[in-house]
Amino acid sequence: MKKIITTKNAPAAIGPYSQAVEINVILFISGQIPVNPETGKLVDGDISVQTEQVLKNIGAILTQAGYTYKDVVKSTCMLASISDFKAMNEVYSRYYNDNQPARAAFAVKDLPLGSLIEIDTIASK
Amino acid sequence: MKKTLFIIAILSFIAGTSCKTEDKDEKEVKRVITLENTPARRPYSPAIEVDNMLFVSGQIAISQATGALIEGGIEDQTRQVLTNLKNIIEKSGYTMEQVVKCTVLLQDISFYAPMNLVYMEYFPKDPPARMAFAVKDLPMGALIEIDAIAVK
Repeated sequence: MKKIITTKNAPAAIGPYSQAVEINVILFISGQIPVNPETGKLVDGDISVQTEQVLKNIGAILTQAGYTYKDVVKSTCMLASISDFKAMNEVYSRYYNDNQPARAAFAVKDLPLGSLIEIDTIASK
Repeated sequence: MKKTLFIIAILSFIAGTSCKTEDKDEKEVKRVITLENTPARRPYSPAIEVDNMLFVSGQIAISQATGALIEGGIEDQTRQVLTNLKNIIEKSGYTMEQVVKCTVLLQDISFYAPMNLVYMEYFPKDPPARMAFAVKDLPMGALIEIDAIAVK
């Protein structure tokens, strides 16, 4: 039975999607953009600041669902510019420092709200 | 010589048997979903089921009647894409309520709001997790492509 995960510690959805859906100990987290959950606005800052906010949002959803960063099995990192790849990796590595998840990363044409980064996550226990 | 041939024969028999077992296991675990009008030459299946999980290939706004991309703007294309998805999901024995994850690829990020309005009609309650973004280009010049994962 699918379970909808909701937390105020991560940004509210800006469209018709759930923050995360859990089923059979698999957690599907919606693509997170660097919105500060307190202000509801995109954070002001470069790729490092934005990546940090995205990963904090993912962390809040993981916690709400009873998972940790260590349970993440797959990430998809979408960048507004491929030149942000290295700086994104530096922040990303701090959150995923051992048993790093499988990952796809690429530059897209545009992201919602003009974000520099969106990260989608699948976790499993 | 005779002895060598005998050993080879035994080994091939063992190899043959183990291959068959693997095939059987594979068939039990992974099910390929096909539709009556699945184009023969595409190197992907409309959907694959494994255990109780259904992976639906990215759908673009192709009319099942004509096999061509429909005329129309983002609203019409979104509706056609979701109709195609729903069709595959239901033919696979799943429901739209069982969809847990979608990926929405847009040809232009300005389609985000109008896409959402149509998308909501198909997922009115407890919508799936989702990622959405604009890509450089989509097959056949489509305006939108959506893929889905459903779980029973």
